[in-house]
Amino acid sequence: MLQITNLSKTYPNGVQALKDVTLNISNGMFGLLGPNGAGKSTLMRTIATLQDADSGTIMFGDIDVSKQKQELRKVLGYLPQEFGVYPKVSAEEMLHYIARLKGIANDKERKELVKALLEQVNLYNHRSKSLGGYSGGMKQRFGIAQALIGNPKLIIVDEPTAGLDPAERLRFNNLLSEIGENIVVILSTHIVDDVSELCKDMAIIAGGKVVQRGNPEELVQGLENKVWSKRVGKDEVSHYQSEYKLILAKLSGGSMKVYINNDTDPGDGFKPEHATLEDIYFSNIS
Amino acid sequence: MFVSIFAFEVRRLTRTLSTYIYFFILFAVAFLLALLAGGAFPGDQTVMFGEKVYANAPTVIDQLVGGISNFIGLIIVVAVIGNAILKDFSSNIYTMIFTTPVSKFDYLCGRFSASLFVCLLILTAPALGIMLGYATPWVNPDKITAFSLIPYALTYVQTIIPNTIITGVIFFAVSLISRDIFVIWLSLVIFLVARGVSNSIVGSLENQTIAALLDPMGNLAKRAMSKYWTVDQDNHLYYSMRGLFLANRLIWLGMAGIIWSIGYYYFSFTSSPRKLLFRKQKLADSSKLTFVPSFINRNALPAVTRSFTTGANFKNLWGLSINECLALWRNIYFRIIMLFGVVFLFIASTQVGKIYDVTVYPVTYKVVESLAGTFSLFMVIVIIMFSGELVWKSRDFRMSNILDSLPVPNWVFYASKMAGLIFMQLLLLAVIMICGIIVQLFKGYTNFEILLYVKYLLGFYFIDLVLLAVLSVFIQTLVNNKYLGYFIIILFYIWNLFFAQLVLKHKLFVFSSDPGFEYSDMNGFGHLVFPYYVFKIYWGAFCILLAVLSSLLWARGSENNLKLRWTHALNKANRASWAVATIALLTFMAAGGYIYYNTNVLNKFRTEFQQEELQANYEKKFKRFEFAPQPKITDVQVSVDIFPSERNLHTTGTFVLKNKSHFAIDSVHVLLPSSIKVNSLSFSRQSQLQLNDSNGYSYRIYKLAQAMQPGDTITLSFNIDMITKGFRESFTGLSRPLYNGTFVNNQDFLPAIGYDPNFELSDNNQRKKHSLGYRPTANAITDTAQYQRNVFTHDADFITFDATVSTVPDQTAMAPGYLVKEWTDNGRHYFHYKMDKPILNFYSFLSARYTVKKEVYNGINLEIYYQKGHEYNLDRMFNGMKKSLQYYTANFSPYQHKQVRILEFPRYATFAQSFPNTIPFSEGIGFIADVDDSSKEDVDYPFYVTAHEVAHQWFAHQVIGANVEGSNMLSESLAQYGAIMVMEKEYGEDRLRKFLHIEMDNYLRSRANEAEKEKTLERVDDGQQYILYQKGGIVMHALNKYMGEDSLNHALKRFIERYAFQGPPYPTTLDLVASLRQSTPDSLQYFITDAFEKITIYDNKITEAHLDSNKGGSKYIVNVTVDSKKIYADSTGKETPVPSNDYIEIGIYNDKTTLAQVQRYKLKGGETKLSIPVSKRPYKVVIDPRLLLIDKKLDDNEMKLEGGEKKK
Repeated sequence: MLQITNLSKTYPNGVQALKDVTLNISNGMFGLLGPNGAGKSTLMRTIATLQDADSGTIMFGDIDVSKQKQELRKVLGYLPQEFGVYPKVSAEEMLHYIARLKGIANDKERKELVKALLEQVNLYNHRSKSLGGYSGGMKQRFGIAQALIGNPKLIIVDEPTAGLDPAERLRFNNLLSEIGENIVVILSTHIVDDVSELCKDMAIIAGGKVVQRGNPEELVQGLENKVWSKRVGKDEVSHYQSEYKLILAKLSGGSMKVYINNDTDPGDGFKPEHATLEDIYFSNIS
Repeated sequence: MFVSIFAFEVRRLTRTLSTYIYFFILFAVAFLLALLAGGAFPGDQTVMFGEKVYANAPTVIDQLVGGISNFIGLIIVVAVIGNAILKDFSSNIYTMIFTTPVSKFDYLCGRFSASLFVCLLILTAPALGIMLGYATPWVNPDKITAFSLIPYALTYVQTIIPNTIITGVIFFAVSLISRDIFVIWLSLVIFLVARGVSNSIVGSLENQTIAALLDPMGNLAKRAMSKYWTVDQDNHLYYSMRGLFLANRLIWLGMAGIIWSIGYYYFSFTSSPRKLLFRKQKLADSSKLTFVPSFINRNALPAVTRSFTTGANFKNLWGLSINECLALWRNIYFRIIMLFGVVFLFIASTQVGKIYDVTVYPVTYKVVESLAGTFSLFMVIVIIMFSGELVWKSRDFRMSNILDSLPVPNWVFYASKMAGLIFMQLLLLAVIMICGIIVQLFKGYTNFEILLYVKYLLGFYFIDLVLLAVLSVFIQTLVNNKYLGYFIIILFYIWNLFFAQLVLKHKLFVFSSDPGFEYSDMNGFGHLVFPYYVFKIYWGAFCILLAVLSSLLWARGSENNLKLRWTHALNKANRASWAVATIALLTFMAAGGYIYYNTNVLNKFRTEFQQEELQANYEKKFKRFEFAPQPKITDVQVSVDIFPSERNLHTTGTFVLKNKSHFAIDSVHVLLPSSIKVNSLSFSRQSQLQLNDSNGYSYRIYKLAQAMQPGDTITLSFNIDMITKGFRESFTGLSRPLYNGTFVNNQDFLPAIGYDPNFELSDNNQRKKHSLGYRPTANAITDTAQYQRNVFTHDADFITFDATVSTVPDQTAMAPGYLVKEWTDNGRHYFHYKMDKPILNFYSFLSARYTVKKEVYNGINLEIYYQKGHEYNLDRMFNGMKKSLQYYTANFSPYQHKQVRILEFPRYATFAQSFPNTIPFSEGIGFIADVDDSSKEDVDYPFYVTAHEVAHQWFAHQVIGANVEGSNMLSESLAQYGAIMVMEKEYGEDRLRKFLHIEMDNYLRSRANEAEKEKTLERVDDGQQYILYQKGGIVMHALNKYMGEDSLNHALKRFIERYAFQGPPYPTTLDLVASLRQSTPDSLQYFITDAFEKITIYDNKITEAHLDSNKGGSKYIVNVTVDSKKIYADSTGKETPVPSNDYIEIGIYNDKTTLAQVQRYKLKGGETKLSIPVSKRPYKVVIDPRLLLIDKKLDDNEMKLEGGEKKK
């Protein structure tokens, strides 16, 4: 459905945000995982018509995104990474406003839709409250509600759970879990769990490049039996880094624990670990 | 701690680029203004501070430096000091600072004093810029005197430092309280507007002291100090810290202290400000959904239909616009602004149309013009401010990420913002209308002309507001930085308002310009509507182009550089927009072409320089004919057909010309305005057109086949047209036919004989530019050759007159003379007027739909022809006519005519003018005056103006002076004398005093701005109105009191008898003064000298006064010390005290306003002690209570009397 071909982008300050990115994304929820500054948001904004790439194309069905922005906008639902709200405007008013802009001219239809959306994202009780007073989770739920207006065929959700507390995150991901049916949903995040919870297809992006691509479970499957861990002293980490394919070293109960990728048991006191998506993530971005 | 905060802040500010930019802006503005004031731009006409005042005179330096600092400087003060604390909040540094052990005092004082210090450094720029400007070789060396640092230093210490502290404290306090940059700027707007309004409304004489104290910048206090300073004093005196100025500084520094404490105590080290207006509370997400999974089910959402057609877009636009309007309506700041605006309008409304401190009836046009006028700057600021706010709203609130990706074309966004702005403008205009109606209602005026409100506000003012909004949104779109945008818009606005016309000459290049319009109850908006709308179509098309470009270049998405947006704008999808742009561009060019055709092809367009050049060439070519003997006109018979709707005149007529010289005349010089089309022009003797130069003035020389011998007469017959074609570049009112209210005089369109020196360039600076020699402002009084001509008309003495005037059927056409016959023929309304007595060659033709009111007084027909609805003051005018006729015939000479007619004409000019037995009187003065007779002070100026004009039937139409300096005094000052006496008889001395006070103030203020040199009353120039009217009136009134009414009037009577209706040689003021001296006792001859031959000013005061009871009887004794000083001034205003021993009156008041007794004393210069016995308990003692002497300072002329209690 969404075909990104050889997309590159360099900002005026010299930062190359996208390097020859090519991705094919079909219906369902697609996870775009990457660290901060990897180029996720640049890619998201470019797909959402908010900026242009230097080269390469994005096709959504027949729509050439960079040339037919207006066409893409008609089928787009976009929840930006960051957005503010107008003071003293309620969620209900704002949804009406956006619904109107999304071409729903019939007052009655709009009213019903807004009501249904507010109910679905559990904001109906707060519908007439000013958006400025919403908590982070409520604001994101409002955000997904507005993105869903107008029956979009492509939904872009850019880092929706950043800054939410665990409960809010959980609730939000619950909401999202079914929206990917029959349409393309791109979820960009730096939180591995978001992807493993929600996506059947994913890519890892780092330094502006796609470094890994596939079904999360399959990816994890491919790493199964190849992850090993060991507790080490803090000053030994560099030794292991040079000796092995280090996935990550992290603190665990006050001492260091290193995880390595090795096809066979390396011995040397290493214990086998279950592979997780996190391991895939870290082995791709390190 | 304080020191380190101070030092850190100063270091930070000195490393900030903006500090240097501020300095540079102030420096550049000052530099340019210095060049302007120093006359470095020879083409421009702006004389900023009087021609003879040096550009680096102390007062000028003070005004320039102070002005720049108080306006542009103020903005910088707000930017620097207002941000001193605020930036900690905007950058979130406050969390770290507030948790350090720094004390509130150190923090606030350190920041404030550091930013104040930097501001004061920045504010040295204006002085430096001006110094450098004056040091350049471009300034005119005549405008500059020797450099001195003192005025710069004084201004800096007396004005800039205190003002920076005062304004700095105010806006610092606002920043502490609100912690909101928008509130700070808003309060700046309010501060500026309030300052402007209060300055303008406290302008009347009584309020000057209070105004001087209330002005936080101290300007009015300084103005009060220097308002009567003459050119010489302007050049040499400094403002000093004393009196009102000192009081003002102390009051406001005290205020600053109070404001500072309020801000200080209000502020606390907390993260959120104590909210002034509303509180915000975060909602807790209380839903317990964490463990009850809930999914969005897209399939369960109701089905909707979506449409993206143009129709749907328009529907969207409607909805969006409503949203924008609602948002604006809910905007708390907008509401504050509106509320403020309303208050401001009501305050301003008290001053509607004041003349002589008397208000006019609040007729709708006055109210609209006055309110919209005072409101206009306010509206402009609000529009500029909110255009930025609306353009930036979605980005400022970070909503743009969502909105920009919605399927809405740019133009819908753009148009919705414009709709919001237009909605705002409509609200503001509605405010004007509602306030206007309320004002009218409060003044008991109920003739609300709602339609006229709508025409004015929507038909005219609204268009300009919309154009401005389009422009400012365009600039905001283009520059993509809100504050830079504001800055550019304001710069452009100032340029456009003040400089564009000056530099670019033609209105085609002045944004949003039009030829101007003026409403008149008589003529409506008249012929001005069409050109106005053509210009607005021209600028409207230009703005549509800007609008299309704005929507094409609308900043959208996260990358906004202009180049990128331009590439997007060129996208094929925007073809429709480009088509609209092309149509707009074509319309713009077509309308521009049409305007050019009208202003420059159908009509002559001349820049000021070209106009001067024309006059210069006229002089160069024809001056040699000035004294060529020419015949004089002795009889005029004309037939004038007025075509009001076409605005044309068709005239046929004959002049009888007589050779009154001692020479044979072989050629006749005929002068006509070049706009007149000559169909035929011939003489009763065979003649040949020898020269026809029609550049500016059509100068023709006809060679007579047979010369005119002395005493010969010939007849000149002519058939001429004045045709109005298209429209002109700027507004023209009178001197051409109008739809209703035509007023033309013979000089506008009829031939004149011989070279007329009045068309020469009179300004000597301009003459220099066109390489013409120095020209005295008038002919010397000793130039006896000029006694042969009168000061009004060079080509005739007294003439006989007969006119037939025709107009459209529903109008009445008027000319001087008696109506002989009135008839209708061929759809035209004819009037035949015939004059029975000889008159000056100066007559007028009027035509309008008049209503007439007639009265008869002593066999004289009194008639007023007026616009229906303007009945308010007809009785006052009739009374004025009657009382004047009575006084003048009793005291001067018989009235030469049998009728007096007042004819109303449109307010395009505001004067009344006396033609023989006919007085055209502007609807703008007198007809709608609202004189309050219950007030003891209101000047009944409809009465006064009438009396003045009727007096001209004597002084001008009976006696006319020679063509030399001083002669206008014979008509204006004597007419003014007549009017004052009639007023005094009617209203008494007490009520006259207010009038005299205003006149004296007017004289003293005007002489301070004299551009050439102040002349004595005896030698006064034609243009020196302040001497002719104000000084002349005061002096003649005083003479009346000193020498006695009878002897003065007797002297005038003799003068009239001697010179009335005489041809050449005409009298001069020398003759008048001689005549007056004859009737003046020796003891008062000095007064004639002082009044007519010198410029005399007194500084009289009462230094001490005490009331004692008389030991013997029941009487009181007023013991008073008076101080008298007489000063002679020279023509530049240089003053020399002179010894004196003059008659001065001392008056005793029994209460505040009743003058109980007046006694004349002969007082030597300096202090004199007097004891005056009085019978009733007095209230105050006043020196010169009847305002006979010109005195610069009147408030020290009186003293309240205390004491006098009887000893028991």
